[in-house]
Amino acid sequence: MQTVEHPQIRLNGVSYNATPGLRPVRVDGCDTIVKLFAARCSELGARVAHREKDMGIWKTYSWVEYWAYAKWLGLGLRALGLQRGEVVSILSEDRKEWLYADMGIQGVGGIASGVYTTDSAAQLAYLLTDSGSRFLIVEDDEQLDKYLEVQDQVPAVEKVVILERDGLHDLDHDGCMFLDELYEIGRQYEAANPNGFEDEILKSKPGDTALLIYTSGTTGRPKGAMLGHENILGTMESSARALATEPQDEQLCFLPLCHVLERNVSVYLPLAARSIVNFAESPETVFDNMREVSPSTFFAVPRVWEKIYSKVLVLAQEATPLGRWAFARALSAGAARAGYLMQNNPVPGAVAARYALWDIIVLRNLRRMLGMDRMRRGGTGAAPISPELLKWYWSIGVCLLEGYGMTENAGLTAANTLASNRPGTVGLPVPGVTVQIAESGEIQTHGVNNFQGYWRNSDKTAETFTDDGWLCTGDVGHLDQDGYLTITGRIKDIIITAGGKNITPAEIESRLKFSHYISDAVVIGDQRKYLSCLIMVDQENVEKFAQDHKIPFSDFASLCAAEQVVALIGEEVEAVNSEFARVEQIKQFRLINVLLTAEDDELTATMKLKRNLVEQKHKALIDEMY
Amino acid sequence: MGDVLLEIKNLESYYGPIMAIRGVSLKVEKGQIVTVLGANGAGKSTLLKTISGIMDPEKGQVLFNGAEIQGQEPHKIVQHGIVHVPEGREVFPLLTVDENLSLGAYTRKDKLGVQRDREMVFDYFPILAERRRQEAGTLSGGQQQMLAIGRGLMLRPALMLLDEPSLGLSPLLVQEIFSILRRLNTDEQVTMMLVEQNARIALDLADIGYVMEIGRIVMDGNADRLMQSEDIKAFYLGHQEVGQRGERRWKRKKTWR
Repeated sequence: MQTVEHPQIRLNGVSYNATPGLRPVRVDGCDTIVKLFAARCSELGARVAHREKDMGIWKTYSWVEYWAYAKWLGLGLRALGLQRGEVVSILSEDRKEWLYADMGIQGVGGIASGVYTTDSAAQLAYLLTDSGSRFLIVEDDEQLDKYLEVQDQVPAVEKVVILERDGLHDLDHDGCMFLDELYEIGRQYEAANPNGFEDEILKSKPGDTALLIYTSGTTGRPKGAMLGHENILGTMESSARALATEPQDEQLCFLPLCHVLERNVSVYLPLAARSIVNFAESPETVFDNMREVSPSTFFAVPRVWEKIYSKVLVLAQEATPLGRWAFARALSAGAARAGYLMQNNPVPGAVAARYALWDIIVLRNLRRMLGMDRMRRGGTGAAPISPELLKWYWSIGVCLLEGYGMTENAGLTAANTLASNRPGTVGLPVPGVTVQIAESGEIQTHGVNNFQGYWRNSDKTAETFTDDGWLCTGDVGHLDQDGYLTITGRIKDIIITAGGKNITPAEIESRLKFSHYISDAVVIGDQRKYLSCLIMVDQENVEKFAQDHKIPFSDFASLCAAEQVVALIGEEVEAVNSEFARVEQIKQFRLINVLLTAEDDELTATMKLKRNLVEQKHKALIDEMY
Repeated sequence: MGDVLLEIKNLESYYGPIMAIRGVSLKVEKGQIVTVLGANGAGKSTLLKTISGIMDPEKGQVLFNGAEIQGQEPHKIVQHGIVHVPEGREVFPLLTVDENLSLGAYTRKDKLGVQRDREMVFDYFPILAERRRQEAGTLSGGQQQMLAIGRGLMLRPALMLLDEPSLGLSPLLVQEIFSILRRLNTDEQVTMMLVEQNARIALDLADIGYVMEIGRIVMDGNADRLMQSEDIKAFYLGHQEVGQRGERRWKRKKTWR
């Protein structure tokens, strides 16, 4: 096969094809992820690649270590019989070994597939069976127990590799081994086959499948989206233009690495950009870790941004009167400036001067306290975010930009950038990706990042592509005259009421979610007389409201049952209703009175409600409303 | 439904910058025994201390017989008829049993009544009568606990706050003390609020239970119902959740659903 060479340009010290979206995609001359990985490791050597906290102290890990451990892990699996094109599943929280496993598996031609640590044993069994995994990597005894519970259902699994020994000293199971034992096997394999890993890497081709990402599946069973090397390289190429990252930028990794967003941001994009990835200790310590790391760029889902906002509001309310006054003045100075910045207009001198003053007195300290003092750019995606919240962040001096992508196109379709920002939209399609709106209103995309299809599910794959090769996103939206993309909902969720009216519930739901008291909502009304809604309240803010208004409650259920709380949510629903036509208004609502966490089936890993499961599990509440 | 004796609304208490109670609301009806369960550091003792005035709440109300009493000095609260039997007994070690009991009745003027109540305490705790001239510090742990409860009874309290009466006692003694508490409740109609880590015995005794975790109430209801809850069984009643390898080291994340 003859390879075409395209003219190159350099962006932040990395060379890319001058025209994005052409095959073969090259990043610094490499056409696969693992070739780039090898190049970076030999180039950067002793430089810091990762930081992880160990017994309270941040420790650094170099690219040399990244290479060595990934190599031994990969060769170890190879020695145990892993074939090219086979899937290996990883069930662990974020940590450097996750990345070693990802690169090690891909290095020897395997396909890495992440499993959420919040998944149940039954879900694990499904994923192992569907992916045909013969090898499974688990973090610790807790995750191991999930495997042991279902081991009879997954006879194909030959070896389970455990990362942590704690609590497992008396483990006696032929199918299990510890990571250091696997490294040792890898070392021995390397001794017998010098350059074995390098040779395997050279065999990788742009079209090979590199990873499998199971879609969170707000509908139906999870499907494994196959992403190839060139898909990920395509995202690197687009990101270099839309979300520039500089060498030595600091990042914080805390969302699940099984998700395409964190995987790109913390594994693949740093390979291209040479940035440093810091691993948060646990989901509970993210805000402390954030302050310690003070990242240069930070990607999070809207829920995280909302949480930070609520924290600041609570702090401000408890401040001294002088402090509250200063904070209000600083915010208004910030808002005035944000008004110009967010429209890409020049900021008048007086506005800029007022902001500069309040920045020194208040805002700079606030950003330092949040760990956002070095942040060049914040990103949000995976769910809609309220425009008011975006503006609030710009007001305190944090440039927060919304983007849009999906697993099936390697995570990036469109993004607002510092140069072209239009709040309320998800921005312009990124360079290399083309977007069109079908007659049905569905958003369709085209680009080298479009995935290869669903793992062993050609029917679903066929449904996902149009005859002429466009990827059907399943999202509904529109492009404005300047090309900015707006998302309005999911095509499958469209409700047809008994009156025959078509309604996009996501539009109403995201308006509801913009309330600080509502964390998520599901609008119901298919084949029904009118619309109703199940609402999941935001525990912290509603508890705060109850405390401030002296509303007694004991547990979460009694909080949701309190009349004043129901009235409060009622007002929020009314406020949203006023923005919609009569048939689109919510006539009845109920609060979900159990506190849902990521372990619950009703929630996706990014904490979105799954429509069909919510409708099943809370049927009693729904029936009450009709 | 009986009369509400004690009502706590949205209580918040701090130790310096640390929020120990994060908005707790609960009710105790006349004649009831209410228990508050929770691990170390859940805020149970802080809750009692805030009721008895040893600590002042930052926010929220404590209503006793419908009147607000939060933030009052401890001696005022005692005059309302609330007695706090502190954790770890805290008897006066160098005073005799008799003197300790007299101090419990310090605020009372009716000598006859005091005399009668002293006899009542000796009725319930005969061992204290035997040791009445002995210094309290020389009593055994169980006897000291009895003395602390007896000292509290000397006030003829409307509400008794008991902070871990089972702490450091042998199982047999715990049973004895709890059966006496039950008799005090049925015979003398003493309303009690009981903080405990020994969930089995506390739920056995109590009518109503609340479960606290890091300053919040995560579950409440009739003691029978709580006894049946999977979470209570696992975390407080010591039911071993059988893991894949016999025992399990990690705590189930999903709780209190």
